[in-house]
Amino acid sequence: MPFDQLDLKRAILGDERAMGRLWSQHSPHIDAVVRRLCGDPELAADISQEVWMQIFRALPSYRGDSQFGTWAHRIAVNRTLNALRKIRRIAKLEIEIEDDSAMTELDTDRTFMAESIEQAMTKLSPGARAVFVLHDIEGYTHIEIGEELGITPGGSKSQLFKARAKLRKLLAHLVDEPSITAGKGKGHVASV
Amino acid sequence: MSHLSEEQLDQLIAVERSRESEPLNEWRTIAARAREEGLIRESESRPWASSQPWLQAAAAIILLIGGIAIGRTTIGLPTGAQSSPSTASVSTPAPEATAIPASDTPAALPNTTSFASVDEATSALERAVTVYQRASQFIAANNLSDRTRDSAAIYRARAEALDKIVNATKSALQTAPHDPVINQYYLATMGASVATRQAYTVGLKGF
Repeated sequence: MPFDQLDLKRAILGDERAMGRLWSQHSPHIDAVVRRLCGDPELAADISQEVWMQIFRALPSYRGDSQFGTWAHRIAVNRTLNALRKIRRIAKLEIEIEDDSAMTELDTDRTFMAESIEQAMTKLSPGARAVFVLHDIEGYTHIEIGEELGITPGGSKSQLFKARAKLRKLLAHLVDEPSITAGKGKGHVASV
Repeated sequence: MSHLSEEQLDQLIAVERSRESEPLNEWRTIAARAREEGLIRESESRPWASSQPWLQAAAAIILLIGGIAIGRTTIGLPTGAQSSPSTASVSTPAPEATAIPASDTPAALPNTTSFASVDEATSALERAVTVYQRASQFIAANNLSDRTRDSAAIYRARAEALDKIVNATKSALQTAPHDPVINQYYLATMGASVATRQAYTVGLKGF
């Protein structure tokens, strides 16, 4: 059921049920972007709490100029990036190639691919991951990313290029092992 | 080792883009945080009516005092600062004046009233509201001597003015929904508006 204006007013006034419906409807997408930007699920859970507190605090300032989900998504991205900056996880915007690998049990192709790319994203540097997530998954422009991260649009493009190159290497096993991409099986993120 | 092609990577990204994950927290966790910060009010369907005793009490007292003050001003009686409410009730010309026990009037309430529990305070509040309503009805029903076309105009002007204040405070609540002062003004003005319209309606019948 869509979150209508009446529910929004009730949420502003502190109605727990209305707030719960708001959270229930939007948390899958909001929490997904938080998780992607953080990489670490436990850290993401903590930051997600802060994100939702900020959304609820800011509710009275929502003017309806954009979709509520878009408005909340912006808050989620800003809050997450700020939190990451605070813990010095995004101070260095350069790609650091890591050599470790991990095994994962997978049930379906879709889950396999999704978890593969999610796992591969964790191997990007925080800055490169942020650029990749914001541009390729969340649809931000390089100008918007530059504003969010305090870098130039050219820097954002450069980070994206490097991030995609590294992901193509990390996920190469998907084409190297056709038996896995063709059906169920075990997979892993390749070492690079 | 071969590389994934750009197109193959885009396909994976599309899968990831459409994937929504399970919430990272349970609602009760979020709700607990929100409650700690005062973002959640316990009353759900009636935000002002239940589990905020202090707010309810403040609003009711303002309604009580404000309503009586408006009633007195409307009918030309001295205000509380000029004479005690008990004296005013005695001076009311209609015989029904004795219908309201003096012990129930605001003047009979001790200034140092304290309550041992929320229930006790709530009961006192309910009695006070009942007295207020009875007093308003009494004043409206018995003050016939001063009713003129001018007073009707005054009622209308006051009602319109109060409507503006209601709208202003309602708008202010959008910005500061949890501000107790603004909430009190909003509720007090709403009460005064209702009292004014009641008095106006009764007054018209008496013309």
